[in-house]
Amino acid sequence: MIEALLFFAPASLIIIGALIVIFAKNPVHNAMGLVMTLVSLAIIYITLNATFVAMVQMLVYAGAVMTLFLFVIMMIGVDKKEQTTESIKGQTFLVSGVFLILISLLAYVAISSDFKWDLWFPPVEFDAEGTPQLIAGVLFTEWIFPFEIISLLLIVATAAAIALAYDTKKRNSNA
Amino acid sequence: MYQEVKLELIFLLPIFLPFLTAIFLFLNKKLFNELITNFFTLNSALLSFAIAAYSFIALALDKFKPVNVELFQWISNPDISIGFTLDGLSGIMLILVTGLSFVIQLFSTSYMEKDENHCNYFVYFNFFVFSMLLLVMSSNFLVMFFGWELVGLSSYLLISFWSKKPAAAKAGNKAFVINRVGDFGFLIGLMIILDTFNTFDFYKILQNTSGIAESTITAISLFLMLGAFGKSAQFPLFSWLPDAMEGPTPASALIHAATMVTAGVFMLVRISPLLQHSKIASLLIIIFGLITALLAAFSAINQFDIKKVLAYSTISQLGFMFIAIGAGAYVAAIFHLVTHAFFKALLFLGAGAVIHSMHHEQDIRKMGGLRKKMPITASMMGIGTLAISGIPPLAGFWSKDEILASVFVNGGIYYVFWALALGAAFLTAFYMGRHWLLIFEKDNGFEHSDVKEAPKAMTRPLLLLGIFSIFIGFINTPFFHGLEKVLHVTLENVEVTHLPKGITLVVLAVLSIGAGFTGLIIAFLLFGMELHKRIDLKKFKLESPINLVKDLSSNVLYLNKFGNLFFVSGMKNLSRKVAVVVDGMLIDGSVNFVSTAFNKSSKITSTTQTGLVRNYVVYFGLFLLLLIVLFIATPLVPR
Amino acid sequence: MLEVTTDWYLTLAAILFSIGFLGMMIRKNALIMFMCIELMLNAVNLTFISASKHFGQVDGQIFVFFVLVVAAAEVVVGLAIIVSIFRKQSSASVDVLNVSRG
Repeated sequence: MIEALLFFAPASLIIIGALIVIFAKNPVHNAMGLVMTLVSLAIIYITLNATFVAMVQMLVYAGAVMTLFLFVIMMIGVDKKEQTTESIKGQTFLVSGVFLILISLLAYVAISSDFKWDLWFPPVEFDAEGTPQLIAGVLFTEWIFPFEIISLLLIVATAAAIALAYDTKKRNSNA
Repeated sequence: MYQEVKLELIFLLPIFLPFLTAIFLFLNKKLFNELITNFFTLNSALLSFAIAAYSFIALALDKFKPVNVELFQWISNPDISIGFTLDGLSGIMLILVTGLSFVIQLFSTSYMEKDENHCNYFVYFNFFVFSMLLLVMSSNFLVMFFGWELVGLSSYLLISFWSKKPAAAKAGNKAFVINRVGDFGFLIGLMIILDTFNTFDFYKILQNTSGIAESTITAISLFLMLGAFGKSAQFPLFSWLPDAMEGPTPASALIHAATMVTAGVFMLVRISPLLQHSKIASLLIIIFGLITALLAAFSAINQFDIKKVLAYSTISQLGFMFIAIGAGAYVAAIFHLVTHAFFKALLFLGAGAVIHSMHHEQDIRKMGGLRKKMPITASMMGIGTLAISGIPPLAGFWSKDEILASVFVNGGIYYVFWALALGAAFLTAFYMGRHWLLIFEKDNGFEHSDVKEAPKAMTRPLLLLGIFSIFIGFINTPFFHGLEKVLHVTLENVEVTHLPKGITLVVLAVLSIGAGFTGLIIAFLLFGMELHKRIDLKKFKLESPINLVKDLSSNVLYLNKFGNLFFVSGMKNLSRKVAVVVDGMLIDGSVNFVSTAFNKSSKITSTTQTGLVRNYVVYFGLFLLLLIVLFIATPLVPR
Repeated sequence: MLEVTTDWYLTLAAILFSIGFLGMMIRKNALIMFMCIELMLNAVNLTFISASKHFGQVDGQIFVFFVLVVAAAEVVVGLAIIVSIFRKQSSASVDVLNVSRG
């Protein structure tokens, strides 16, 4: 019972948050919806025994990335009127087409297997807790190479961001 | 025996001598002046004739046994080789061609004097004599075909000799093309012969005609007949001959009177052992010969060019020869060929003399009363006119009468043919009489003060030919069958139609003489005494029919116009349509279609590249769905 | 029904992914499209975590780690691009950017 509740509550929050992201008019509302989704996801990660990842998600995603998003939203100042009208011809038609096909596919898969999705491999009963010690043990031994690469990636991203957004005129006129 | 061995090589000399002369003159065209050219060509012609006469006499002494020479064998199975033969038939043609060649070349030295292409003329002339001799002296169909084609080529070269005149060039083309149509028939006939007999040799073929099916023989005869029609200007392949009068007159005298056009007759007599077995072919030959004879005679009665009358006359007389072949009288056909060669060459050379003296005026309505100014020419041409009308004892009477009698003797429908041929003989006398009278007798009041007799180099050949026209008929009278003896060995397997005997022969002779005389008398009445101007034609309601006859005759029954419209314009329209529709629209169209299809399809495909992110997202989604469907449909891992 | 097995989590991830995908197609503001990308990435993360729980191995969580880092870097660079585009034209709409049209 508790498990079901622990699943359904965050799940519904996720869905609602996602719907807010795609349907809200005010971009700040969009950002808030996204935050709600991210936090609920973190809760679900905890129920799945991935505790370390949940914390990292809360910190990095919901903390740093969303803050960055909000900065840019404030800077750009989105116009509400632009959001509603559809300017590309035939886009509505295509989108509704894709949507319908997607829904029907999912429904087909669900119905044809009688709502019992038979996974190919049976679940393994070993209950691995995603503790930091466990993750560190694997990360720094088996996955050390990708680890170094993504640290390089972070440096490159930072340099790229500065290079892209650097405004020479404004800088020179200020100084 | 010593004579026989040498004869085999000697009779080849007259064939190759003109060829060597032609090459010699061609190579030295720029060096020689007229005198040297005349010297070489006349001497070579005389030498050829002398050797030819010697060979013929040697052959006669040997009772006309054929002499065969095989130069080399090309293919052994089927048997094709290059060889020549001298027998009665080819012997006659040999002396005829070489003799006439000498006489006419003598005439040409004076006629073609001061012409800028003087040497070329004699090159072409000698080349023609060489090709004609190849044709007649051949011992198999292959060499005959070579000669056949080369004769057509030489005729083209000589007709369009004055090539700067567009009419001459067109006439040359027309002659060659119509000849080609005939040659197409000849070639198909040759193919059937090779398939049936597996050889081209005359003697092997003509000895073995008994076992072949009649349908094959008819097929061969019909196709070879088509070839003969093209070469000898029979209906419907005759319209090139009047146009061929654009060439120099002596060339017309040799080619289109005496030698090339008789090649068809010669060929049919050569294959007479084969031809006699096919009744259908013989019937068709005589019918076409009759149509030609009547049509040409009808067209000749109202022609105004001095040479065109003679051209239509030639076509008509060739029709007579074909009538003889169709009736089975092969000896009569060759006899008429020989006599016709002489008096037609005489008439043409006389016409050439008149043209030369009248400073190249050719319309006979502008001549008249030339008898006093050119007595020798007038009297020689008079002899020719009498000969062609069939007045005894000149040559034409004997040969024409033999043809008519041989037609009559076959009976049945041949009585009708005989009557029609008699009518053609009457028309012949009429138009030839008109021809002579309009040129020499009637004085139209035109100024002819500077017209004088032709130079000696022209009148001497005329005199020679005139004498021959009088006496050549005696080689084959009912009393002395000289020609029959000559051709006896050649035609030994052939059923030759013989003359009727006794009173029938005399009655027929009287009727044909009567036809000739009547024609001449009517011509004299109309054109000599101008009777038609004295009778009021309107009273007898004769004016419009006579005008209609005149109109139809001078326009050759509008056959030329019809042929032009149908064949020439029709083919041009057809080829234009094919060029536009098939080539332009279909072929070009399909190639262009491929390229435009590429262009259009790439334009359509490039509209999907809008540059907008959201469109690309949609595409991404569609393919994602496709992948999902594939994933659902095909299980990757078996359960 | 009461048993929450792995396939429920996978269904949830699928729904989240499709919502994010739909959002990308519908919205034309660049920032919001970015947020939809984030939704999709998170759906993938959820799939990885649930797979890791299913198989009892920790490698899935390591991978989520990496995805997280890459997503962060991508957000940084993407926002920088959006800012510089916004400086050029004063709207953040994506529909006017069709320079690569062919």
